[in-house]
Amino acid sequence: MEQPAPDAAGDEAMDAFLEKFRSQPYRGGFREDQWEEEFAKIPLFMKQAPSEVDPRENPDLACLQSIIFDEERSPEEQAKTYKDEGNDYFKEKDYKKAVISYTEGLKKKCADPDLNAVLYTNRAAAQYYLGNLRSALNDVTAARKLKPCHLKAIVRGALCHLELKNFAEAVNWCDEGLQIDAKEKKLLEMRAKADKLKRTEQRDIRKAKVKEKKEQNQNEALLQAVKARNIKLVSEAAGEDEDSASECPGELFLDGLSSGNPCGARLSVDDQGRLSWPVLFLYPEYAQSDFISAFHEDSRFIDHLMVMFGETPCWDLEQKYCPDNLEVYFEDEDRAELYRVPPKSTLLRVLQHPRYFVKALTPAFLVCVGSSPFCRNYLQGRKVHQSFLASWLGRSC
Amino acid sequence: MGEAGAATGSLAGPEADPEAEAAKLLPFLAPGARADLQTAAARHVLALTGSGPGRTLLAGQEALLRALVELAAAPAPAPAPARDAARALVNLAADPGLHEPLLAAEPRLPARLLGRALDPQWPWAEEAAAVLANLSREPAPCAALMAALAAAEPEESGLERLVRALCTPGYNGHAPLHYLGPVLSNLSQRPAARAFLLDPDRCVVQRLLPLTQYPDSSVRRGGVVGTLRNCCFEHRHHEWLLGPEVDVLPHLLLPLAGPEDFSEEEMERLPVDLQYLPPDKQREPDPDIRKMLIEAIMLLTATAPGRQQVRDQGAYLILRELHTWEPEPDVRATCEKLIQVLIGDEPERGMENLLEVQVPEDVEEQLQQLDRQEQEQCVREQQERELSPEPQAEGAAPT
Repeated sequence: MEQPAPDAAGDEAMDAFLEKFRSQPYRGGFREDQWEEEFAKIPLFMKQAPSEVDPRENPDLACLQSIIFDEERSPEEQAKTYKDEGNDYFKEKDYKKAVISYTEGLKKKCADPDLNAVLYTNRAAAQYYLGNLRSALNDVTAARKLKPCHLKAIVRGALCHLELKNFAEAVNWCDEGLQIDAKEKKLLEMRAKADKLKRTEQRDIRKAKVKEKKEQNQNEALLQAVKARNIKLVSEAAGEDEDSASECPGELFLDGLSSGNPCGARLSVDDQGRLSWPVLFLYPEYAQSDFISAFHEDSRFIDHLMVMFGETPCWDLEQKYCPDNLEVYFEDEDRAELYRVPPKSTLLRVLQHPRYFVKALTPAFLVCVGSSPFCRNYLQGRKVHQSFLASWLGRSC
Repeated sequence: MGEAGAATGSLAGPEADPEAEAAKLLPFLAPGARADLQTAAARHVLALTGSGPGRTLLAGQEALLRALVELAAAPAPAPAPARDAARALVNLAADPGLHEPLLAAEPRLPARLLGRALDPQWPWAEEAAAVLANLSREPAPCAALMAALAAAEPEESGLERLVRALCTPGYNGHAPLHYLGPVLSNLSQRPAARAFLLDPDRCVVQRLLPLTQYPDSSVRRGGVVGTLRNCCFEHRHHEWLLGPEVDVLPHLLLPLAGPEDFSEEEMERLPVDLQYLPPDKQREPDPDIRKMLIEAIMLLTATAPGRQQVRDQGAYLILRELHTWEPEPDVRATCEKLIQVLIGDEPERGMENLLEVQVPEDVEEQLQQLDRQEQEQCVREQQERELSPEPQAEGAAPT
């Protein structure tokens, strides 16, 4: 430093200045009770910058800001300042603010492609941590357009694809990066990881396909078994038309087989090739129902009724629903006719009846107490076929 | 071997002096010659290369060979006769007797052909690669090629460029570059090449692995599998090769696997790449490649930890099914040997690394005797099956 020339006038002014302190108290100092706050307001000693700079509260800070963000500086300088600001926010993990800073820097459209590439890449990193993977990818693509060999952009892009589960793309990006630096450790690791995940994903697809095929085969076998028994199925859609019943496409039923019904039960086949059906028992007298999830086709109605009505159900107010009293019917909806089902029949016999149509793959039956007034009332005015065999042979009962 | 254009009869008349006749072609092959004459001359030479005597004749014509090389390696735009000149070189290089004359005529032949083969715009790059594939089968030209690759650095490793050209689909829009496979395979006989391929700080061998399934060219597949097999001789690298960073075993097993229906429990034991293969999965159709794959796996079982890894990754299941299917006797025999290793007892102490075991001389002799007997057996079986001959393999230049 230069030695100031001895200045007699300067010395005198200095002495006079110093003299003042003997007579006048110094007013520019901190107030004792709030010195910490005032201390923190001095930019040099700030521990944390305020998010908004109010020129009245922080005139010094506002002043400094106006210097560095001065519009008269070159775009490159301004962009660089924004980049630094963004980096600082990034370090504090304030990714939203970082994105804003980098965006401001890019808005300057400065002529330095390296700087812009860095801005894009850094913004991509911030977007990555915010979970905006597509925006991040757009940014690294833009960065690579400016600087094809920008390795950080490539690493970031590969990371994005990895997160998005685009494993093949991730591997491609890693390979491109490795052409620039064949020993880049992050890229080597990512490539191995992405490759393994890709192959696992391919296995999962194959596995799902095999499972689907197996299920399809099972369903087709079930439909075949039903057809072989001459059991007629009706889809929920068709319903009314008698002719369409036998021509309904298999797919409708296959779907029904896959989805089952709300209780999750579905038509199944056992090791001996015998079917079990989900069956609905309806009790019109009390608007109740019972659901049997697996009614083996060779088991008899009476066997199930014995179990179900071992104790009379709670809704049976007159306690008359005992197995001996019960009468089972099925309804031919087309003709609105009822057919009596002998309790000792097997399910298979009944399903094979020429007028029985299984709806939604769930056979349904009506049960009431034969001698009850309700039953007599219910059956009155409707055509009822009392002899199962006769009705089967097509003779009126 | 080699494809010939026109018949050989036109030049080798008994009364004319063949060498003088051949020398007459020289001016027409020169760079400034008239295009149509150049084309005809090149075609003549190509015809000559189709026969043994023709090649021997050309072996003595150093100036002619040099002119041929100039034509084949002419800078872009490639003149029309360049292709025939290149094909002539393919045939010449297939004959080991021609290697010395070729290299004497143009010592920089490997380097120039390398440049052409790796030039993404060169239309006859496949032919250039085929010449290199033929040349590099012999040690001297192979060494010259390695030197040429090394000289391409420091900007980018020559071998790296070669691997990249092989692994990047569409590297050259005009030429598929399948013959770079055998080139790499021949190069991988040299330790320096293997060191590069197996560099753990790089990603090189990993990029070759998917090519074991490359459907369109058995030349490429064979080259890649040969390369991998040669790499498996490096037993110090086995742990790395079998580990997650490379994971070589599934890529060796996949071409050997068929549309097997394993139980769910068996399936879960297999590596991910071998699980739930579709019903139309085909095995590797070329028996030589199948044999090389088994040999590569066999090499990986040389050390005890390697053996354990190969066992753990379910190799036995795949090989068992392969053995049932395998129609070729010698491949089946190789498969049996490997299965024996996998299900056999562990060797005694001191024999942990089978590649380093010292075999006593008398045992060595016995083993060779057994080998010979087995070989004869295979040949007998082969002859029996020759009653129903199979179609010829494609007649392009040999690898």
